[in-house]
Amino acid sequence: MKERIIAVVTAGLTVPSSTRLLADQLAAAVRDALDGRGTPYKVEIIELRDHAHDLTNNLLTGFPTESLRKVLDTVVAADALIAVTPTFSASYNGLFKMFFDVVDDKALAGKPVLLAATGGTERHSLVLDYALRPLFAYLQANPIPTGVYAASTDWGAGATKLHARIERAANELVNTMSNDQTASVDPYTTPTPFEDLLNG
Amino acid sequence: MQFGVFTVGDVTQDPTTGRTVSEAERIKAMVAIAVKAEEVGLDVFAQGEHHNPPFVPSSPTTMLGFIAAQTSKIILSTSTTLITTNDPVKIAEDYAMLQHLADGRVDLMMGRGNTGPVYPWFGQDIRNGIALAVENYALLRRLWREDVVDWEGKFRTPLQGFTSTPRPLDDVPPFVWHGSIRSPEIAEQAAYYGDGFFHNNIFWPISHTKQMIDLYRRRFEHYGHGAADQAIVGLGGQVFMRKNSQDAVKEFRPYFDNAPVYGHGPSLEDFTRETPLTVGSPQQVIERTLSFREHFGDYQRQLFLMDHAGLPLKTVLEQLDILGSEVVPVLRKEFEAKRPAQVPEAPTHASLKAAAEQARELETVSPEVVGLEGTR
Ligand SMILES: Cc1cc2nc3c(=O)[nH]c(=O)nc-3n(C[C@H](O)[C@H](O)[C@H](O)COP(=O)(O)O)c2cc1C
Repeated sequence: MKERIIAVVTAGLTVPSSTRLLADQLAAAVRDALDGRGTPYKVEIIELRDHAHDLTNNLLTGFPTESLRKVLDTVVAADALIAVTPTFSASYNGLFKMFFDVVDDKALAGKPVLLAATGGTERHSLVLDYALRPLFAYLQANPIPTGVYAASTDWGAGATKLHARIERAANELVNTMSNDQTASVDPYTTPTPFEDLLNG
Repeated sequence: MQFGVFTVGDVTQDPTTGRTVSEAERIKAMVAIAVKAEEVGLDVFAQGEHHNPPFVPSSPTTMLGFIAAQTSKIILSTSTTLITTNDPVKIAEDYAMLQHLADGRVDLMMGRGNTGPVYPWFGQDIRNGIALAVENYALLRRLWREDVVDWEGKFRTPLQGFTSTPRPLDDVPPFVWHGSIRSPEIAEQAAYYGDGFFHNNIFWPISHTKQMIDLYRRRFEHYGHGAADQAIVGLGGQVFMRKNSQDAVKEFRPYFDNAPVYGHGPSLEDFTRETPLTVGSPQQVIERTLSFREHFGDYQRQLFLMDHAGLPLKTVLEQLDILGSEVVPVLRKEFEAKRPAQVPEAPTHASLKAAAEQARELETVSPEVVGLEGTR
């Protein structure tokens, strides 16, 4: 069976980062769900903080550096994406947005995505549905119904409930991924024949 | 192989002096650069087309016509001609006129432009960028090749019995390059017609440029114009040279750091690693340029960007002296020595005219006629 790639994009800025912690727990839950099915897979964790300068430069110059390009290629080629951001000023943070601004706007079409966020207050949990979901709708990705939001309190007394949400989301992601068979076409290897372009 | 310069025509403040030249100065500086390019032995001068400040070249054939009058050998070209927002009829007319005035020293590079608002300013929609490039160019080709054209398309008012005047010099349309950075459709278009393909790689890493050129070469062969290695490829480059490479870096850094496009972004060191920009000694420029051949195969045209980011004219002319005396002669020799026999040179008016004459002879001289010749 073909190896499945799960890309995890995490936009935490602090080290250590609770956003990264949530990303790791989501990745672990997806691993558990896949282990049960005998599908070979690989999880690639991408810390956007490591690419912050390259992202700024890409916005200015219009092209990615070699190392950022590898990251972009990984995300675009992945079978599923876990996207995790801290909540800043009632939205995703700038680093998270910069990354998805740099990804080609059609490159994530149809891709199963698990949306997740951390925040200082549980009152901002709708950031998932009011900020992240519209972004991925624009990108024509396929976000799964369950998003995971972890406020500071969720790391203490709320941890059991958080864990249940993580598990549910991980299972949804794996189910969506298994149903998804779309193969993307590389326009550089298979261009649209010119006659088709001529005929509009 | 052809070597030349291309200019964007930006009016940018010199960051070392704070001085910004006037439009008049910049326009005359571009002419001086073209004249100098011929003087130092370069083959091509190409200029951009823009319709917004801080750029001056909105009227390329006015400029190139003026330069044609002051030069005698150099090929005048564009980088690029906006095939999307210009009326193809006007392109056909303007460049045929220029061909006559310049005795055939003209070719063009088609491009789609990178300034969004230009589309609405000229009554078009950027979302039709590719479709406009495809339709307008198809019409342009016919206008140059057919004396009377009936035509109807999506974007332009129909033509009935239309003749574009003047007809191309010697009935040979100017050679066309298609310039592209990201669009596989344009590589496909160039390949379909057997036209040239110019990748303006100056802001792009090798891996991307290679993907585009490989696609064009493969499709050129697919459409039956020759083998992939016979496709007509052009590349950009950007250099700044001094005898000692440290001096080049020191002098160029403020221009780099404040330049439009990449200024205030990546460091000069990062940018020279990731893109063709070479700041150093003439020898370093020679080595870098020769390395393009290793990546992209034998190619036909190398254009350098020499005059942007507020560099003063005096400096640019010094750069052209170095390019013409120390760099290009070596590159010519090296590229020529490495080029396999089957790889053609870029077409010129003379070569296209000769090819057209040969094709006409083959058409009209049937075997019978040849047989009769001896009896007359
Ligand atoms: C500039 C800034 C703005 C923030 N705005 C919010 C907010 O609007 N709502 C919220 O719940 N938390 C907000 N926070 C708190 C972060 O979301 C929270 O600390 C997050 O979990 C940090 O993730 P990290 O540990 O991965 O860096 C903000 C933090 C910063 C630095």
